[in-house]
Amino acid sequence: MAARYDRAITVFSPDGHLFQVEYAQEAVKKGSTAVGIRGKDIVVLGVEKKSVAKLQEERTVRKICALDEHVCMAFAGLTADARIVINRARVECQSHRLTVEDPVTVEYITRHIATLKQRYTQSNGRRPFGISALIVGFDYDGTPRLYQTDPSGTYHAWKANAIGRSAKTVREFLEKNYTDEAIATDNEAIKLAIKALLEVVQSGGKNIDLAVIRRNQPLKLLESKEIETLVAEIEKEKEDEAEKKKQKKST
Amino acid sequence: MATFFGEVLSVYSRAVEEDDDDLDDENEDERIHREIEEKREVHIVWCPEVAQSLEDSGSNKLQCSDLIIAVGTNAAGFLSAYVLNTESWDAVGHVSLWNERSRGSSRQSIAPLPGEPACLFYRHRDNPAVLVCQSTCYIAEDQLFQWTEKVFGCLQKRGLSVMVLSDSPVAEYKTPDYLYGSAVPFLRSLKSSASKGQALCPALEQPNILTGLPAAVLSHCQVHQIPAVLYQCYTDVISPDSITMETFKPALLCLSKLVKLEPCLSADVLRKFAIITEAQSNLYT
Repeated sequence: MAARYDRAITVFSPDGHLFQVEYAQEAVKKGSTAVGIRGKDIVVLGVEKKSVAKLQEERTVRKICALDEHVCMAFAGLTADARIVINRARVECQSHRLTVEDPVTVEYITRHIATLKQRYTQSNGRRPFGISALIVGFDYDGTPRLYQTDPSGTYHAWKANAIGRSAKTVREFLEKNYTDEAIATDNEAIKLAIKALLEVVQSGGKNIDLAVIRRNQPLKLLESKEIETLVAEIEKEKEDEAEKKKQKKST
Repeated sequence: MATFFGEVLSVYSRAVEEDDDDLDDENEDERIHREIEEKREVHIVWCPEVAQSLEDSGSNKLQCSDLIIAVGTNAAGFLSAYVLNTESWDAVGHVSLWNERSRGSSRQSIAPLPGEPACLFYRHRDNPAVLVCQSTCYIAEDQLFQWTEKVFGCLQKRGLSVMVLSDSPVAEYKTPDYLYGSAVPFLRSLKSSASKGQALCPALEQPNILTGLPAAVLSHCQVHQIPAVLYQCYTDVISPDSITMETFKPALLCLSKLVKLEPCLSADVLRKFAIITEAQSNLYT
């Protein structure tokens, strides 16, 4: 049935589908997982690191990119499409600073990206961008924000979300575990992001990349040692929990 | 023709066909057809021992109780990793054919190089009635019948049981339901009516159909009442991939009854057979 309505982007199918947009969302699922968490004084982005070829420069294969000093994003999907979107967003951030003499709000830049994506779903000869993005940052007034965009050009604010390969599993984990206690401190919020990723990442801490923005501080990419330390803490906490449960059972 | 002046001229009638030219044309056409047919002919080249045993048996047929055919890179990779990795299999033959997508070597006797798309036969040393065929080359529609006839022509029909493993893109799987990412890859089965046992996975639902070599083999088995079961794996990856290969594991249950298999396979061995495209492919991040 889809065969006649998925050739040109501008054609609706009889039951109201835009198949190219839906297929673009399938392309997003081919990218590795990215998770975003909005804490009280911190926003966290965690991604599953892509396996890098032996001769490839690792630092040029990044899923997390800064759009401005106070905004950064992680994407999942087609690498080249992401590069274009990120470039346009970066230019817009600076243009906004120069024009309005204020840094962009996270919602503004998200709306800009989403509008760009929507334009590509409504013109002929062009295909939609095959990426979803998680955009995090702090507004001028200090409010932490997390937004998610998808290839159709919609965007929504989230407390925590995941995109990419096993997004569904991660989102279910977050729905169960995102509580006020879980994000009470900055460290706890970071650990929640790692725990969410560990649900789907195969080989543990060395395949995770993490970035945080604290209020009034620039983007910080965590080093692998720090991540390993946090993973070790999480493992220890799990063991302690298991021990406690055993003791409870035996008494 | 009579002219006005009473002389008679003999003229060639344009109504008469020029027989000589036509014959040449037809001959040329026939010649070209014959050449193309010869070029597209399917040849099975057996190793000397098997060729000898074929000659020695009165009917020019091999004793075979089980034939396992793997069509496609993932099915072939699965067999290579799980079944053919022990030392007890001998390469006994290959099929040499030519078509526009499969330019086989011009000399039939040369066995295909490892890694080339090819159609290879293996036989188990301890149980020579078990034959495995790995087909990774493209066989054109007009050659499928020949392939099936020639291969099955070399095998004893009585007591023969066939299993076919093949893979296919999930985009060709027609279903009214939305397929979540976690469901793929998955197996579906088809059996010939002579096949008595239970298949290890759900049957292929309508309106899905099989095409190509698996369909030709299954049709042949159905017509000649040979018990045959086919396992088709639908996958969303276009290159050989270890997760897709693992999907064929239920078939190991049947195979382990015939031959001794590696008890436990590490993921590393599988990955050796799967082309590592992930690191090279920077398309998706």
